Amino acid sequence: MDLGTLIPQFLPEFVLLGAGLLILLGERVGLERREYFGALSLAGMLLAFLLVAADLGTPGMGGLRGVSAGQVDGAAIPGALYGFSSLGLWFQEFFLLAAGLVALAFLSRPSVERGAAVSYALLIFATLGMLLVTLAADLVYLLLALEITAISSYLLVGYTRRDPRGLEAAMKFYIIGALSAALSFFGASLLFGAYGTTSLSVIGHSWPSGSGGLASAGYAFLLVGLGFEVTAVPFHMWAVDVYDGAPDEVSAFLAGGTKKVGLFAFVLLFTVPLLLVGSLSSATGSARESIQLSLVVLALLTMTLGNLLALLQPEMKRLLAYSSISQAGYMLLGIAVGTAPALTGASLQILAHVLLKTGAFLVVAAVSALGIGPLVADWRGLGVRRPYLSAAFALFLLGLAGIPLTVGFVSKFVLFSALVQAEGWFLWLAVAGLLNSALSVFYYARILKTMYVDKSPTAEETAPARSGEPLGADGLGWGRAGAIALAAVAVVALGVYPQPVLGALGTAAQHFLSLGL
Amino acid sequence: MSDPITTASFLGLSGALLGIGLFGILTRRNFILLLIAIEIAINAAVLNFVYFAAFASTPASGLNGQSAAVVLVGLAATEIAVGLAIVLALNRLRGSINVTEATSLRL
Repeated sequence: MDLGTLIPQFLPEFVLLGAGLLILLGERVGLERREYFGALSLAGMLLAFLLVAADLGTPGMGGLRGVSAGQVDGAAIPGALYGFSSLGLWFQEFFLLAAGLVALAFLSRPSVERGAAVSYALLIFATLGMLLVTLAADLVYLLLALEITAISSYLLVGYTRRDPRGLEAAMKFYIIGALSAALSFFGASLLFGAYGTTSLSVIGHSWPSGSGGLASAGYAFLLVGLGFEVTAVPFHMWAVDVYDGAPDEVSAFLAGGTKKVGLFAFVLLFTVPLLLVGSLSSATGSARESIQLSLVVLALLTMTLGNLLALLQPEMKRLLAYSSISQAGYMLLGIAVGTAPALTGASLQILAHVLLKTGAFLVVAAVSALGIGPLVADWRGLGVRRPYLSAAFALFLLGLAGIPLTVGFVSKFVLFSALVQAEGWFLWLAVAGLLNSALSVFYYARILKTMYVDKSPTAEETAPARSGEPLGADGLGWGRAGAIALAAVAVVALGVYPQPVLGALGTAAQHFLSLGL
Repeated sequence: MSDPITTASFLGLSGALLGIGLFGILTRRNFILLLIAIEIAINAAVLNFVYFAAFASTPASGLNGQSAAVVLVGLAATEIAVGLAIVLALNRLRGSINVTEATSLRL
């Protein structure tokens, strides 16, 4: 395979790579101001977004990618490292959306800051890794792409190099990431040992025949390794500390972006094994049922514990981190069931979460830039002091709770009704999900009450605003304000009129599943 | 086959390496030793790939495993390089590379 065919196939990815390298080059030749780097990375992300959108818009998607029509959503080619599926391309759009919102908000950090260029370049490289994950058809390719994202995000967490909390978060993130990588690699090596190939579809179809438990052990190691990545309980402890210590915009990217990559890796790894549950001989079927059961247990633990711990949190960022953990549980549930509607629901839930969580963390970033403290109690009376910002935050919280007219309601509705349709004991999963949603309303309502009902702190209680030149958009910074507004508009737009995205995602999920058979 | 190495004994070896690495990651206080533990844990997987590739049933499968091993060696090196960068920054900031002294974030 020469570059002439490779570059068109990976055009959006090459655009991002070019933008990242240009930013680093720009810093070398003496560019200093954040605005240049920000504009360059936003341009790169927008171009990549449009290119992927063009791919999705072309029927058969032959056009821009330079892949023949049969290659998209076509049967897996034996030995291929990567393949194009429309579901994967949709996820590329989600990831580019999260990265774009964060890049926009990043503009509101100090204009001349050490590491400004590096932080943008790392953001781009992390996004590049995320895009590559969605194309993976091979275990080693998948792990390589995951590592590109992971390594960029460790550095992104500690990019300021001056903030002890950020560096400490980077260290913890790094240790856990290395642990998870070692476990995933070991799992991959066992799967290779069992079937003599690293092709995801071959492994998925062969399992569990003729491996003497080797492959099952491999899947178990991968489940744990990737479990760290998606902050599934009991592998979640690092997430709260890391989200807390990282710069606020980076927390938004971690919660809204990189975590979803692990979820898509789950889709790639476990969809084929799960698809054939029930349609197989008893021995094979029961092995597959065991993997489904472990995914379901993981999902239930994750959403319940995440919600319970969030109830007790007095700090805003840590509370959002726990709520983000619990949301991962819903998505895992959709993946575990393995029917087309459930996969659609999980994908939509991931899109909803990208918008809602990124938006919520960006509001936290804006509020802390105003000099308001990290506790929920510090937000007393914010509804009066900052009506627009509070309205946006309230919208994101309502979306996370799943209130109608937000995208959060649509995604939960699709997901839970898919669980009900799947019949059997899946019905109880829908009940568990609904109960958990009800539980989560408690702490979201508590924040809303603090913001709108409680009295503002008196003047002497409030900390003085941070020194330095005042930011535009009433102290929020235009970049942040723009990103928050965009996310809020998208939340409502998709909540009121979800049909186009819903329909397209449904078709993509169906294609993806029929590929696996 | 007169070969004295069986898959079971080999998996014992790589499993032990993984165990040693994980134990080190969870217990070491010094960041440099922690990096070494990470390296050991990742190398368990590399060794597995090399072993399974050597006894692969077809040449293509053998090449698949060998290339995977090479890729993982590269990944492990990258991972360690990033770890060292974090150590350097930490050391410059607080003059210590002891993991337990980094406690400004509650668990």
